[in-house]
Amino acid sequence: MKIDRDEARRIATLAHLEFDDPALERMAGEMTKILSYIDQLREVDVAGFQWSAAADSTPLRDDVPRAPVTRDAVAANAPAFSDDGHFVVPKGIGD
Amino acid sequence: MSELLDLPWHEAQAQASPRELVDASLRAIETRDESVHAFLHVNADARGDGMPLAIKDNIVTTDMPTTCGSRILSNFTSPFDATAIARLRANGASFVGKTNLDEFAMGSSTEHSAFGPTRNPWDLSRVPGGSSGGSAAAVAARMVPAALGSETGGSVRQPAAFCGVVGLKPTYGRISRSGLVAFASSLDQIGIVTKTVRECAELLGVIAGADPLDSTSSTQPVDDYAADLASGVRGLRFGVVREAVERLEGEVRANFDEALNVLRGGGAIIEDARVPAISYAIAIYYIVANAEASANLSRFDGVRFGHRSERSKTLDDLYFHSRGEGFGAEVKRRIMLGTFALSSGYYDAYYGRAQAVRATLRGQFADAFARFDFLLTPTTPEPAFKIGAKTDDPLSMYLSDIFTAPANLVGIPAIAVPSGFSAEGLPLSLQLMAPHFGERALFRAAAFFERETEYWKRKPR
Repeated sequence: MKIDRDEARRIATLAHLEFDDPALERMAGEMTKILSYIDQLREVDVAGFQWSAAADSTPLRDDVPRAPVTRDAVAANAPAFSDDGHFVVPKGIGD
Repeated sequence: MSELLDLPWHEAQAQASPRELVDASLRAIETRDESVHAFLHVNADARGDGMPLAIKDNIVTTDMPTTCGSRILSNFTSPFDATAIARLRANGASFVGKTNLDEFAMGSSTEHSAFGPTRNPWDLSRVPGGSSGGSAAAVAARMVPAALGSETGGSVRQPAAFCGVVGLKPTYGRISRSGLVAFASSLDQIGIVTKTVRECAELLGVIAGADPLDSTSSTQPVDDYAADLASGVRGLRFGVVREAVERLEGEVRANFDEALNVLRGGGAIIEDARVPAISYAIAIYYIVANAEASANLSRFDGVRFGHRSERSKTLDDLYFHSRGEGFGAEVKRRIMLGTFALSSGYYDAYYGRAQAVRATLRGQFADAFARFDFLLTPTTPEPAFKIGAKTDDPLSMYLSDIFTAPANLVGIPAIAVPSGFSAEGLPLSLQLMAPHFGERALFRAAAFFERETEYWKRKPR
């Protein structure tokens, strides 16, 4: 599988990652090399595969309330937190 | 005084008070860690009446920061303890420090830490392995009697092998993952690094068990893991994974053959086992682990905790710039691969196919364990490599986990135990794998091997 710079840019946008052009070029080359190794999985006959055979399913627990982490503890790690208890971020819609 | 730390824990405890043992550990860190750089934080106020422990810096603690070796968490302290930490605290343990790791546990050399590499105590020009390289180096250099690490594809066993110490990856679900910063949730498990098998078995007994905070933790009863340490291996069946051993060369091959002879000498039955899909383990791993990582690491967005870029005018800028500045190159590479594998048009061809081959691998392991109590490989295909030798070639770095990643994909327990030294004096290691929840048997066989060989008594200069 060949990843070119445009494809790497598409994936970077999905992943919310910032790259400059040389870094994107380098990433595309590395991904191509790694994916060409991974392409050996195509050799394996996987007819009849059931998803449940790959890993045990995740057990679910009852959704019961329990004591949360305190607001002060949350605020202590937040980059910006308002006095009335909100995370502060820049505006969500551009100019 | 720090000779206390050369002793197995039960002997050290008989000779000194808890306070003296913690002090010995802190002093050893002070004198030895300048050259090794195993620690990211040292807790000079460590208190407790139990074992001084080092904790990999992706396991959260309320009394020290948790950075995951990343700039994006360079200023984070958890408001709660991981379940494993809480259980150790209740048992009196003293946490003397947090250890270095590849950023978010993504790497096999500890060179991908944002805070500089750890060096191998046996040869400071070489890597300690990774990602739990700090934990393995701290135990090997006798700075602590034991450490916690984490495993996703070999991140405890591979550095344990490179540093000549014991490393356990328990069965998936044996230890709660609550408070272990998530990398790949279907593979991650907290692991244990010690000098000797007994210390490892005793620590597992403290931290194993069901936890309401992790629904994937198992309700299987916690065993008496040290009960069979003296029982030997007579009549036990060991399968040698042919597909792994065929690749071996030179010293590693000769050392593995010697290890088989040690087991034979104890009356073990040793025969060939076939697990053909093992050769696909790294390819499966780098799709499944990275796909899960791309989802798990989306929480680092500069909003609620962690690094926030100063350059952000809009919310979108904030995400892109904070993650762009906060994550290192290897983490970005893995998020990119994982995002690709889950993206529309490629999901079935990559993620779906990787899960299908993972199912094949599970089936082959189940078949092998119908015939054998244990499966054997060397822990790694080569001893510790030079710092910088693989940093420009991600794929060759990935392949150093070729023998360890299968146990994570299948969910079984596996242990790395020292098996000797190369001509250059670098540690070599034997890996034993057992069926799900077979930890007690693993410790039994590993303890026999350790007793016969006593490689743990050698220490770095």
